[in-house]
Amino acid sequence: MFNFKKYRKKSPWILHYNAGSCNGCDIEILAALSPKYDLERFGVINTGNPKQSDIFLVTGPVTFRSRERLVELYTQMPEPKVVIALGSCTCTGGVFRDMYNVEDGIDRYIPVDVYIPGCAASPELIIDGIVKALDILEQKTKKMEKPLKLFQDASTKDGIINKRDCALKVGEKDEEN
Amino acid sequence: MKKTINIPLGSQHISLLEPVRFKFECENEKIVGVDSDVGFVHRGIEKACTTKFKYDGIGYVVARVCGLCAITHSLSYTVAIEELLNIEVTSKAKYLRILLLELDRIHSHMLCLSHTCENAGFEAMFMRIMGDRELIMEIQELLTGNRIQFDYINIGGVNRDINLEVATKIVNNLDRVKEKVMGYVDEFTNNWSLSLKFKRIGALSLDDAYKFNAIGPLARASGLNIDVRNEIKYLPYHEIGFKMQTHIDGDINARNIVRLNEILNSIEMCDNILAGIPEGEIQTKYKGKPNGESVVRFEAPRGELMYYVKANGTAMLERVRIKTPTFASIPAFSHIFMGENYADAPAILASFDPCLSCTAK
Repeated sequence: MFNFKKYRKKSPWILHYNAGSCNGCDIEILAALSPKYDLERFGVINTGNPKQSDIFLVTGPVTFRSRERLVELYTQMPEPKVVIALGSCTCTGGVFRDMYNVEDGIDRYIPVDVYIPGCAASPELIIDGIVKALDILEQKTKKMEKPLKLFQDASTKDGIINKRDCALKVGEKDEEN
Repeated sequence: MKKTINIPLGSQHISLLEPVRFKFECENEKIVGVDSDVGFVHRGIEKACTTKFKYDGIGYVVARVCGLCAITHSLSYTVAIEELLNIEVTSKAKYLRILLLELDRIHSHMLCLSHTCENAGFEAMFMRIMGDRELIMEIQELLTGNRIQFDYINIGGVNRDINLEVATKIVNNLDRVKEKVMGYVDEFTNNWSLSLKFKRIGALSLDDAYKFNAIGPLARASGLNIDVRNEIKYLPYHEIGFKMQTHIDGDINARNIVRLNEILNSIEMCDNILAGIPEGEIQTKYKGKPNGESVVRFEAPRGELMYYVKANGTAMLERVRIKTPTFASIPAFSHIFMGENYADAPAILASFDPCLSCTAK
């Protein structure tokens, strides 16, 4: 039987969304896919469909109108997924920080795994970031495949997940802090 | 019963680089109505220019309006401020500015051509043009230090000097690009499968181009004779061999041919600049704060770009107004879509070379 999970790392598909960037990073993504840098040698392909993609590439500080679409695209992607923030303004807001229609970076709305700085981020950096994202993708895949009842520690009692105990533990930690 | 169906394109779509939403009203395959929504990337740069940044830093902020025509934005703003401060820029700095402006035009047009091919389903041509575009990106990096956001122009001149090594590299690479572009001209005029996708599709007549106020390559492909490079006096375009490129068909193919001819003309201009670049300083010293109003127009790769700057003698400006080329062309865009097949919509859209982050600012 052909094992799809094993080969996920070999062909990660990219979903690209522009959340208000200046196009600089977007054309650098295209340049990275082109023959000189050739990102496609890692099996990467640029797809427009969130339901088939593994890596979410976001550029731009999140503008007021694009934030709903950003979160919607994120939730439509299947697990495991990796989010890459591409460009200085995506990481922190950059020059656009504190402008009235800008939300200062995507990590206010969705969890980010890899940050790529630079204005505009060069194709070399983009390749580095995506290779790093592939490792994270593999780790996430392994974590998902781990049998929960056998190896879960601390929060389990007799092999059964005790949600109330979990919640209590979290509460204790909060009090300590 | 209603006979038409509505098909949305965007705001996130594989054929789009940036978020824009078109709502096509289709009758079978034909498009009978278009509704567009361009405001997804509005960031509020005009407001920030008057509240957050001082006048000498705004040149670098307005470059972030758009990554593709960044140099035109910062140049227009800088020239507007130089008019207010009465700064006389040295002729060497002027020629270096034109050099980068034309290099930027070449790479922007090449990106547009490759993107049009990709959206028409010709992936190999996309890869070929994108691969050759790296030659231009290489010399831009050598000349300015960055591939996309150059930050090359400052008030009073330019930030980096050119040396002989860089100049020879630029000439060599431009020669290679010229050969490749001649190959594209052959491909775009003679390739039969490309002609099925491009010829007589998305046509705009001369009257309509005039009526809907089209600008840039879109208007020039319809035979309208407008190019700001022909009209301005801030930069010595008449000395370096600028030629107007027009076509009469007005379809996607005509736009591609106009862009290819403009690339060839730009290469010629760059060669002329490098052959006779004058000696001298690249930076003029200046004093004082800007006061008064000024309007500056420039030809961005997509058409006319207009800057209006109003200052009041302090470090903060009173108003910066940016009128961008795509914004002026939207009525023409909507008109062209009428009566076309829905399947051609992505290719037509790419052939406009729209820049939405310019439009929304």
